Amino acid sequence: MLSNLFRIKWVRISTIITLLAGFYFAAVVAHQQRAAQREQPVLLTDNCRAKLSRYGLEGGEYYRSPYRRDPGTMVPVRRGYSVADIRAIERGCVIIDDLQGEQAQASIERWNATRFVRGQQTSCDHCHQGVGDKQGADGRPQIGSLSLGASWVMADMYDRFTGLLLPFELRQMQCFINSSNGFKPNIADDLIRDVTAYSRFLSAALDLRIGQRYPEQGIDEVTVSQTLKRGDDYVRGEALYRQKCARCHGAQGQGLRQDGRTLVPAVAGPDAFNLQSRNNFSFVSTILPGFICRNMPLGEEGSLEPQQCRDIAFFVSNLPRPAGDKQGPLRAAWQQLMMHGMPPLVGLMSELTHGTGAP
Amino acid sequence: MNLYRPPSLTTRCRDWMGQQWAVIGGVLVVVAIIVVAHRSAEVFRVTTIEEPGWEAFSRAHAVAEFGDDGYFVRAVQHGYNLFFYTEKYAWRFTRKRAGDGHNSCASCHTVEQLAYAFVNSDREDPALQRRVSFEERVMRCYAGQMDGFVPTRYDPAVRDLRILARMVARHLNLGEGALRDET
Ligand code: HEC
Ligand code: HEC
Ligand code: HEC
Repeated sequence: MLSNLFRIKWVRISTIITLLAGFYFAAVVAHQQRAAQREQPVLLTDNCRAKLSRYGLEGGEYYRSPYRRDPGTMVPVRRGYSVADIRAIERGCVIIDDLQGEQAQASIERWNATRFVRGQQTSCDHCHQGVGDKQGADGRPQIGSLSLGASWVMADMYDRFTGLLLPFELRQMQCFINSSNGFKPNIADDLIRDVTAYSRFLSAALDLRIGQRYPEQGIDEVTVSQTLKRGDDYVRGEALYRQKCARCHGAQGQGLRQDGRTLVPAVAGPDAFNLQSRNNFSFVSTILPGFICRNMPLGEEGSLEPQQCRDIAFFVSNLPRPAGDKQGPLRAAWQQLMMHGMPPLVGLMSELTHGTGAP
Repeated sequence: MNLYRPPSLTTRCRDWMGQQWAVIGGVLVVVAIIVVAHRSAEVFRVTTIEEPGWEAFSRAHAVAEFGDDGYFVRAVQHGYNLFFYTEKYAWRFTRKRAGDGHNSCASCHTVEQLAYAFVNSDREDPALQRRVSFEERVMRCYAGQMDGFVPTRYDPAVRDLRILARMVARHLNLGEGALRDET
């Protein structure tokens, strides 16, 4: 019946035209939805409200940040922000703080960011802490804390891992693909542009200058030469992890979730960074140790020795995690098997041997 | 007697060509595109031609602070070439030629202006009623002021102007949103 109908030429032609028109109108509707969203006031998270009001973000012809890098110096007057600019900055902030939209009313508030991330937990703020602007107890920017403001002023420089001059937008995309185990948003997507707007605002608030390298930018990498060169040790790493990290991140690094909120992010398993992330020790061996030494254990930052950080990173990176964009389907399938098969097995084993089940 | 004479080789060849003309034509077009694309491979060249004035410019802006050579410095130099010799280096994106007036970015702007535009970009433009990036500004000037075409955001003709602007902004020690009259 139906196949007979499709033999008629005009039926075929009009079906194709209807389909194309359908796609077109779907695109128009999505476009209008976005345009309307840009006009909406932004529902801030607590962290973002605190951060932005501390830096005095408000409309007007001029902007002057209340921040002082050194006592006695004032941040110079800058160009002010329009209402649309402020909304973009606010959206960028909540994207960093809450990528998954756990505190949002609708997915469009985060520009449907979850489409670009496979895991249920990853958020930029897990690694780019303090909403991309982590500060130590003394109120100064934390060294090696992946600061987004300091990153903006250093963007476009040569990147030794890719051998490219990476614009800020591409750096964000890399984090979507590997650190967040997801997919690349378009360079002109609001998701990327709003994060750029927020990062630029941070650099204005903190009075950072273009092309300067600040210690809070990137990672304070821990190289082998900073240790006694006795080699990185998985067993030592496991023991240290148990002692220092497991109470928050869980015995097998699965993180802690409660009432649909991620309290502690996973460092292993389907919700963690993938094998192709620079965080992965066997890919780049200096970054995760650098992150751990400067940023973990949360609240006791700086309490670990370089060798300890390398050992822990070695152990953490060997926990099962998703394959990255370079590994191919076989490896990806194997990682899936390990991620879903290993935790119950390890849990059972420790139940049998110690009588304590791993969470 | 057999009346059938098999067609000669040339006839068969011609018939076959007649049937396949679309395919052959398609292949030729693809080959032509590849050849042309390779001819303009100089767009992505890693070395940069030294144009008059570069020596003095790079000394005045302390470009060597970024290293004697390397990706970044070469991109800055290409940005310099694009800015001062636009008709030669971005000929694909402008209809202006050597003899025309206003045939380079430098005819209307200074590099300092470019740097201030960079640190003030990604802001709402009241006329356009939306936020406009630095790259879009450059693209608009290619298409409008320079009577040409819009490059993509990733094109070296856009990227290296941004990198030039970054270098000058660094030289002037600018921060985000720096105002022109502030000293
Ligand atoms: C699992 C940890 C992790 C997560 C999650 C993460 N990042 Fe990153 N990010 C990193 C690391 C590690 C680097 C690289 C540091 C280096 O190369 O020195 C980085 C680098 C960056 C940079 C460049 C920084 C610089 O100084 O050059 C940007 C921008 C960035 N990330 C944005 C994001 C955004 C946006 C998200 C959320 C979608 C995100 N990141 C999520 C770990 C992470
Ligand atoms: C007090 C609880 C706590 C302890 C102890 C702790 N962490 Fe964390 N960790 C966190 C929280 C919370 C985050 C997310 C930070 C944020 O959102 O600001 C985090 C983030 C991380 C991240 C980046 C997130 C990601 O997805 O990869 C890594 C890696 C990490 N921790 C490793 C460690 C290691 C290694 C140790 C042991 C040395 C450790 N942590 C100890 C609470 C803790
Ligand atoms: C014929 C003169 C002319 C030429 C040639 C020209 N521009 Fe422009 N440009 C203008 C004018 C006029 C404006 C401001 C009006 C506007 O926004 O269109 C402008 C604006 C800009 C801005 C934004 C300035 C700001 O303060 O935000 C940038 C960036 C820019 N041009 C870059 C370039 C580059 C790069 C080139 C070379 C490829 C170029 N222009 C060539 C006239 C010109």
